[in-house]
Amino acid sequence: MKNCYEPFPMHIERVVVETTDATLKSFELTFDRKEDCAEFFEKYNPGQFCQLSIFGKGEAPIGIASAAWEGNFVRFTVQKMGKFTSAIHAMRAGDPIGMRGPLGNGFPLGDWKGLHLLVIGGGCAFSTLYAMTKHILHPSHRAEYGEITALYGTRNSGLCLYKPVIEEWHNRDDMVVHQAIDVPEENWKYHVGFVPAVLEEIAPSPRNTVAVLCGPPAMTKFTLPVLTKLAFPPERIYTSLEKRMKCGVGHCGRCNIGHKYVCKDGPVFTLKELQELPNEI
Amino acid sequence: MPNTRDQKIQAEAKRLLQDGVVDVVIGFQKGTLPYKMQPCFISRADEVAKLTLNGLCSNNLAVYLNHWPKGEKTAIIVRGCESRAIQTLVLENRHARENLYLIGVPCIGILDLQKIGQQELQPVLAVQEEGDQVRVTFGNGEKLFKRNEALHDACLHCNHPQPLNADVVIDEAGLFEDGSFDKSYLHAFRNLSAKKRNEVFRAEAERCIRCYACREACPMCYCEECFVNHSRPQWIDSTIAPSGQQGWHIIRAFHQTGRCVSCGACERACPMNIKMTYLTDLLNQDMAAEYGFEAGLDAAAAPPFLTLGEDKGKFTGEQEEDHAN
Amino acid sequence: MPTKWISRKDLKKLPDQWLKQYDVYAPIQNGHELAFQLVKESAQIVWDVPSNPRYPAKSLFLPQSEVLMSYDGILHSVEKVERPKVLFGLHPCDARAIRLLDHALVDEQNPDEYWKSKRQSTIIVSTACISPDESCFCTAVGGSPFNTADSDALIVEVEDEFCVYVLTEKGGVLFSKLPDAEDAQREKVEKLTKKVEAGMPKAFPKKKLHDNLLASFETDFWKEVSQSCLGCGVCTFLCPSCFCFDIADETVRKERVRNWDSCMFRTYSLEASGHNPRPTKMERTRQRVMHKFVYWVDLVGEIGCTGCGRCVKYCPVNIDIRAIAQDALHREFEGMKK
Repeated sequence: MKNCYEPFPMHIERVVVETTDATLKSFELTFDRKEDCAEFFEKYNPGQFCQLSIFGKGEAPIGIASAAWEGNFVRFTVQKMGKFTSAIHAMRAGDPIGMRGPLGNGFPLGDWKGLHLLVIGGGCAFSTLYAMTKHILHPSHRAEYGEITALYGTRNSGLCLYKPVIEEWHNRDDMVVHQAIDVPEENWKYHVGFVPAVLEEIAPSPRNTVAVLCGPPAMTKFTLPVLTKLAFPPERIYTSLEKRMKCGVGHCGRCNIGHKYVCKDGPVFTLKELQELPNEI
Repeated sequence: MPNTRDQKIQAEAKRLLQDGVVDVVIGFQKGTLPYKMQPCFISRADEVAKLTLNGLCSNNLAVYLNHWPKGEKTAIIVRGCESRAIQTLVLENRHARENLYLIGVPCIGILDLQKIGQQELQPVLAVQEEGDQVRVTFGNGEKLFKRNEALHDACLHCNHPQPLNADVVIDEAGLFEDGSFDKSYLHAFRNLSAKKRNEVFRAEAERCIRCYACREACPMCYCEECFVNHSRPQWIDSTIAPSGQQGWHIIRAFHQTGRCVSCGACERACPMNIKMTYLTDLLNQDMAAEYGFEAGLDAAAAPPFLTLGEDKGKFTGEQEEDHAN
Repeated sequence: MPTKWISRKDLKKLPDQWLKQYDVYAPIQNGHELAFQLVKESAQIVWDVPSNPRYPAKSLFLPQSEVLMSYDGILHSVEKVERPKVLFGLHPCDARAIRLLDHALVDEQNPDEYWKSKRQSTIIVSTACISPDESCFCTAVGGSPFNTADSDALIVEVEDEFCVYVLTEKGGVLFSKLPDAEDAQREKVEKLTKKVEAGMPKAFPKKKLHDNLLASFETDFWKEVSQSCLGCGVCTFLCPSCFCFDIADETVRKERVRNWDSCMFRTYSLEASGHNPRPTKMERTRQRVMHKFVYWVDLVGEIGCTGCGRCVKYCPVNIDIRAIAQDALHREFEGMKK
């Protein structure tokens, strides 16, 4: 029996404390069984998520933060919040853990070929954008896409994820990276202000461009109108939603918005799709 | 001149709404099935004709005060148990008494359709109250019951059917006087062996489907997070295994100690017809014996467990020994 | 597929035959209530079911609590070989609900094997509902008390005899030895069908109801409708087509289980951050009704309520989904397509 509720047995290979306040950590998981690894990478598309599983603490849906080319591991960046995330934050390299996935649709990278990308992220929701950008920046994919502009906002510089890699991105000549923090700090070289305001300031062109937006609900709410103002059409604006989930495969009924299930039909939706659904986010 | 109970209720509701004494009147209206009444919220004087109160009004209306805007001037139609529930809620600082206007109605008891249906092994299709008799239509014909036979057990065991501390009392006779019934059924239960009592408890709890209708129908169950939903730690088994079912029923009952007003709304809401009031009645009896306290009777006396300190009160726990076996 | 005929006396003996090969589930008297339960002998079966047993038959395929996995350091699926079963004596509304749940639980990518294996091992023999009660409204939502669409066989009682519609090969196995019904007998059934259906409510205009409800989404209609709701799970737990579940770990027993859950519960959609997309009973009541009359229609083209009447009958405050639908049909909501 192929049981859609049974997690792969995994182990934590590496833990990275991402932020100075240690509320965000990245966990790199490796597969206990070769066949699970093969199955995972056969299906994986950036933008998808997994249900991480710790017996006794339950499961939690977490976006995948690694690109397939990085190796035979899967990275998750987790914010300490509730029962499950507190439990995983207490875990160390070598600990066993369960994982179901990849789940959901992911970003339609095939449809975006030939287009410029505007990548807008905030908080820990940036993780799947990170995976996607890494995927695209790989030499075998980079040529398929146009210009890449990234805007990444955090409350302060200490909360910035994946610092070494983002530093590298600043130095690349095939992408433009804007970083923003909410309030001024000494020695900060980039923007100061909330993401919507900074976006308005840098005013990227919507021409042949797809905008991908992942952030906390408040950021998403105020950034979408700015994109519209900049003349991005709703079918070219993508965002990823978060909802309370249990099964992750569209059976348990919990994460619906209208007739769509965020776990199965999402988590990535265009603004146009969301506009056609009942307003219940 | 209004002459029936309903007309008198309607007239009072109309006056309150017209004169701006209250913004809304909480009462009952006719339901969509011939044996159902429905809680309703009347905010316009021209809608008061909907209001009715009869033996099919099975809920405790005080439950709505728990999620009610606190400042809103609200009238609520109260029988004995509802008035006692409100008194308890006010003592527990859930609601300000000055924002409430209690329209008291001497209680005529609430009919127990599950009990009637079970006697006949037939679903009830319609109910007609005819004085001290009740005419019930079943799938296979009609039957006349004495009103007392058809009442819910909580009403048969009720000692305070008269509304307390109401702002106005509708001038109609209730079915019983205060203090007309005793709780001898509890003595019978206490006199069973521990094994037998456990059997009774298990047999009731094992039908539980964890829908929490009992909790939601209870004016006293207002916790923002119920212990049963608490996940850190998880207190009881989440499933319909006996441990989960029994855990729910026993802890629920204990949380009602000295607070339950014995209205029986929990049992009437239960789709599985599980008996629960015997547990809370037992605890209430202990509270009466140990502290001389009965929930909702005295507007000034807070429940003992709300005020209990090191120097106050004593609970010996000896009583149980006397009754076992 | 053939139509068969059988006397009451002979029909009552049939389940004893089935019991040699199958587990038979049928309405039996359990204490004071009827319930779909495992039958030991035909004599236990209640043949004249006055109204739908309170606890829905979905529980035989999606048990209220079900062990999904056991834990011994890693989680292992609980593999169970399902015994062949006959589910007998449910009304067409309940059979329809079970078929609807196939859509919810079985998809190509991730079929729910627990549901699927129980479904595949079960033959569904419904009985026509010849005396629908006050809370019944299957005809309003696309069904019929004689609906043949969702069962393997349907039995209709006519003048103390029974007509058996064999509807699938699976169902035919149970009735292969019976004689075919004669034309005069078939006519009797058709007459009875027409008579009973005539006394039932008219179908809701599905499209209009769908559109009106969508237009009502952000209006005070839902505040009104939900005002008396207590927020318990009676309507959804007793509903034959509600399927939402929660997954929980029982650490003492070392099992990962699933339990029915309810969109009417406060905690159902509450997120770890504290955000709740359905924070009050207004949004929760709206979800229950929209799911049945809008989202199911969007997904599979039919209403997801089968009109069994349980939620109407057992709601402690008499919230009546029929009345909500009627009300929504007769109102004008802003932004409504004219």
